[in-house]
Amino acid sequence: MTEASPQPSEKGEKEPRDAAFWAQRIERLEVSDVPEGAANVNVQGRREVGALQGFGKLWQKTYRVGLAGIETTPEEVVRVWKVHFPEFQPPNSRFYPSMAGVAPGEVLFISASVGGMPVYTGVRVIYADNKSYTVMTPEGHPEFGWNTFSAYQDDGVTVVQIQSLSRANDPIYELGFRIVGSTEQERIWTHVLKSLAAHFGVNEPVILEKVCIDPKVQ
Amino acid sequence: MTERETDGDQTLHGSLHSLRREYEEIRAIRRTRRIEMPEAQVKMNVRKASEKVSIIDVEGELTAFAEDVLMDAYNQASDGHVRAIILNFEGLEYMNSSGIGLLVTLLIRINREKQRLLTYGLSDHYRSIFQITRLDDAIAIHDSEEEAVRAANAM
Repeated sequence: MTEASPQPSEKGEKEPRDAAFWAQRIERLEVSDVPEGAANVNVQGRREVGALQGFGKLWQKTYRVGLAGIETTPEEVVRVWKVHFPEFQPPNSRFYPSMAGVAPGEVLFISASVGGMPVYTGVRVIYADNKSYTVMTPEGHPEFGWNTFSAYQDDGVTVVQIQSLSRANDPIYELGFRIVGSTEQERIWTHVLKSLAAHFGVNEPVILEKVCIDPKVQ
Repeated sequence: MTERETDGDQTLHGSLHSLRREYEEIRAIRRTRRIEMPEAQVKMNVRKASEKVSIIDVEGELTAFAEDVLMDAYNQASDGHVRAIILNFEGLEYMNSSGIGLLVTLLIRINREKQRLLTYGLSDHYRSIFQITRLDDAIAIHDSEEEAVRAANAM
């Protein structure tokens, strides 16, 4: 966990240590500059939506890979991940960060293909410290929820993790995820962790844990 | 790719007993996989406001490491005929996005038990985070314990 210097707020309250890591609250996404190659579709003017909104079953999926046999730290891994985020994505899931990169409040544009269908959307970084960062979906995204990318030490090994907590946006996407989307999505995040591990010269299996947090559609 | 799946359709049907069993299963998986999480930097005290309302005082950091402490506190708070759980965040010192995920999981469990989740004691900063993550759509936020208890008792 990163230490931040507590600063007094306007009310004279001590600023929480996590204050610098959270994005500011906004009503709707506002995009001023669109990175080259990205499409500003389903982003501008959209409200953010979390795992409590949406339609489908709520799934928590946790992908992990241990960087065994090398000496590195969670901080270094996450630093590299933030800088090289788009490079670790597979060809069918392109991310376009803003010039400011992965930082609280920044928007990442996404051009992907799910089941052969093109998907243009984006996510906003709502939290980022030196061991993790989290993105949240806007309206129009196939899923509603969060993805957290993090690293931690486990028994002397740096473990890299992606954890998603999300549900399908609407009945059509729910059906799509059940048929093909979920498997495809798992391939994408497995690819990302394999690529990140390979960047550090590691070839270890990715472990996926799936828990259905809420089996009801809503 | 190694896969471990828990299908909620079969395991998550309503009773507090089955929810506790599920929770213990997840803890057992963790122990099996030797994930050694650092000590949770959080304390939770459970107290009864009335026969139907329990309060959990949260002091410290709400991160992924707080999961066991939070769920233990919830299990303790749910004993008897409790219909509402109030989280007191006056002592909250730090929360990251994993802490938000824990609250979502807790909320789903509470809803499944047909209980209600309320909060009080959130600073402006943490109120803002509840708004960013849209938790305020589903969790009632109150200014004081008295107000939260009154709302819980009125349910």
